[in-house]
Amino acid sequence: MAWRRKQRDRIFPVDITPMIDVVFLLIIFFMVTAQFAKLSRAELDLPREPGERSELAEPDTIIINLTRDGTLIVNDREVERDALASMVQEVLEQTTDDPAMAHVLLRVDRETDSARLNELVVQLQAIGVGRVRVATEVP
Amino acid sequence: MWTRERKDDRRRERITLNLASMIDVTFLLLIYFLVTAVLAEPEDRLTPDLQVQTGEAAGREADLEPQVLEVLIADGQPIYRLGSIVMASRAELRERLDALPRSAGVFIRVGDGVPVGFAVTAIQVARDLDFEQVTYVPHSP
Repeated sequence: MAWRRKQRDRIFPVDITPMIDVVFLLIIFFMVTAQFAKLSRAELDLPREPGERSELAEPDTIIINLTRDGTLIVNDREVERDALASMVQEVLEQTTDDPAMAHVLLRVDRETDSARLNELVVQLQAIGVGRVRVATEVP
Repeated sequence: MWTRERKDDRRRERITLNLASMIDVTFLLLIYFLVTAVLAEPEDRLTPDLQVQTGEAAGREADLEPQVLEVLIADGQPIYRLGSIVMASRAELRERLDALPRSAGVFIRVGDGVPVGFAVTAIQVARDLDFEQVTYVPHSP
């Protein structure tokens, strides 16, 4: 009887609270990051290039997705071409004083006709964006 | 006596609390998120400057002897053109660009109809060759 009680005492004092805390923190982290990724990144076949392979000093100010058929998607929402400039301008005004210093990430499908990208670039240049980041898929 | 029994009951209740199913679900969720996070394709980026000039002015009148690489469609195929030299492959493009001075930078003038992937290859090659400035110029006729 006494031996059994000893055995039980030896098993139950194992405190798994910190482990459960850590596991829940990890779950919350993955849920939140997965949600953000889904919101800002549409499913596209990006150009397969290694990119600049350097660490980014500053995060993207805005992410613009351009699909193969020319649809523009910003923050998981389809945006009309005419409405894009004012939308980008609004975001840039909120985040930076100088649009030329903004970090606009263009995620463009590799099969998209460059005429669509050209139109987008002209629009961005018109509102003062002087440099863009073009997303690539690391092969 | 009564209190001792009650204490024993409480201890039994506490001990019988079974966390196993919750931990199972929690670990399943954790594994699911880990696996889906790993499946996301790794992305990087290229950072060309932008210059909007249409027609023949792009990279000619505004700049002193610019190095202009054109990306366009010829006979239904995307090609690269540097002056009168026409290139169809990445290797050829790299070889020709490698012969140019880096300090002058390079203008990549992209015509309509070219798949974006082809234009991005030109930016990548120029970046790999350490041109000081790589400028994307949209070129619509």
